[in-house]
Amino acid sequence: MEHTVFQFQNVSDDILHNLNFKINKNEKVILFGPSGAGKSSLLFLFNRLRDPKQGDINYNGKPITEYVISQLRRKVGLLLQSPNLFPGTVLDNLKYGPSLCGEWNPDDAKKLLEYVQLPESYLNRKVDQLSGGEQQRVSLGRTLANSPDVLLLDEPTSALDYRTAEEIEEVLERLIEEHQLTMIMVTHDLKQAKRLGERGLFLMDGELKEDGDLESMLTDPKTEELKEFIQD
Amino acid sequence: MEPEISNQSLLFLIIFVLVPLTLSYYYQLGMSKDIVWSSIRGTVQLFAIGYILTFLFDLNPFMGIPLMLSIMIIIATFHAWNKGKELPHAFLVILLGLIIVEVSVLTLWLAFDMVEFTPSEVIPMSGMVIGNSMVAMGLALERMKSEFTENSGRLMAALSLGAKPSQASHLIVTKTLNAALIPNVDRLKTIGLVQLPGMMTGLILGGVAPVMAIKYQLVISLSIFSSVSLSAMFVTMAMYRYFFNKNDQLLENEEELRNQQK
Repeated sequence: MEHTVFQFQNVSDDILHNLNFKINKNEKVILFGPSGAGKSSLLFLFNRLRDPKQGDINYNGKPITEYVISQLRRKVGLLLQSPNLFPGTVLDNLKYGPSLCGEWNPDDAKKLLEYVQLPESYLNRKVDQLSGGEQQRVSLGRTLANSPDVLLLDEPTSALDYRTAEEIEEVLERLIEEHQLTMIMVTHDLKQAKRLGERGLFLMDGELKEDGDLESMLTDPKTEELKEFIQD
Repeated sequence: MEPEISNQSLLFLIIFVLVPLTLSYYYQLGMSKDIVWSSIRGTVQLFAIGYILTFLFDLNPFMGIPLMLSIMIIIATFHAWNKGKELPHAFLVILLGLIIVEVSVLTLWLAFDMVEFTPSEVIPMSGMVIGNSMVAMGLALERMKSEFTENSGRLMAALSLGAKPSQASHLIVTKTLNAALIPNVDRLKTIGLVQLPGMMTGLILGGVAPVMAIKYQLVISLSIFSSVSLSAMFVTMAMYRYFFNKNDQLLENEEELRNQQK
């Protein structure tokens, strides 16, 4: 039986309107739609960086509001568009999350760098000396340091050049498989969506217009809105 | 002999006003009105405070000192509050901060016999402490607001990694305190080398021996240093939490900050 990780029931706020859907364990979900559709606003509901005004969100069968917020956020990791690294070294960033609750194991540093394919010599390097792609890898490693079950990705490669974006994409794809993560990703790039995602949620004006198998949605859109979006 | 500047001599100060006025006219800066108005206003304010101080200095210290300190603290509170009006409880925090700073400094001065409890000593020296604390609080509020805006991505990242607002804001708090304290550290480093401090200059001009003037200057300079640090720390530590709501979510704009006050 499929295990439901997230369930949204009648979720609404100033931007989003009456959202109803479920996300199962290990699903690779792409949130897509035009600018201003509410994609990032929806993404931030999963780890309570925002709260809806109405409706219920359940995480692993329990209302999301019943979890200790910091613990929920550790389990539902987020990678933003920009790396947003903290000043200091790569190591300072990697250990940030686990250190907050006294769970940092120094042996993990090497493992995390391996995950994101950075050499061990980078550990004590200042983050401002890294390239954009390297910074995003450190940011991903920092998120993975909390051992999340769900990975939220907010256009994680949109600030990078094509080649670097592809490299990050490969790292992401491998890590999501290896760690059996449930992935929810916002992206503008439909090619990337097809490469990384299996299921699509098409949002427009804060409404969920289509939900289904991503490949079928893109080849055979059911709604006029999605047809127009794909043509654009 | 008391130093004296005659009224006729004072009239020649107009030359110092004519210089910026001429510059403004020549380069069409459009500041002539402001220059004239600020010069007149400054002169009137200074004479007015001169007469008020004369009146206060003659009062019983237990009446004159609390009265003047209260007025100074309230005016300073309003002034610093302008820099962070949109933040909840900013007025109360600043008022409380200034009271704590002034009472602490005054207690130390009196306890260690550095200053006598007379209006002529306490009021001007407290004025300097309150004025500098006011500036420090205003700067800290402004800096904190801009740091929160500039670092919203980092704050979101920290929160998403499980940080509590106090942990996520650590970077902002550090930067804000640094910005508030650095000018004072620099001022102390160069004191007496780049410029002779105003109070010391005033005392020397007033006929006090330079070494005694230096002692007073040390008392006031170090008091200001300490009170500025305390003010910046107090306002920063008291206010950073209002950039988050009770669910550890970052408030992203002034509207959200204002709504939190309701």
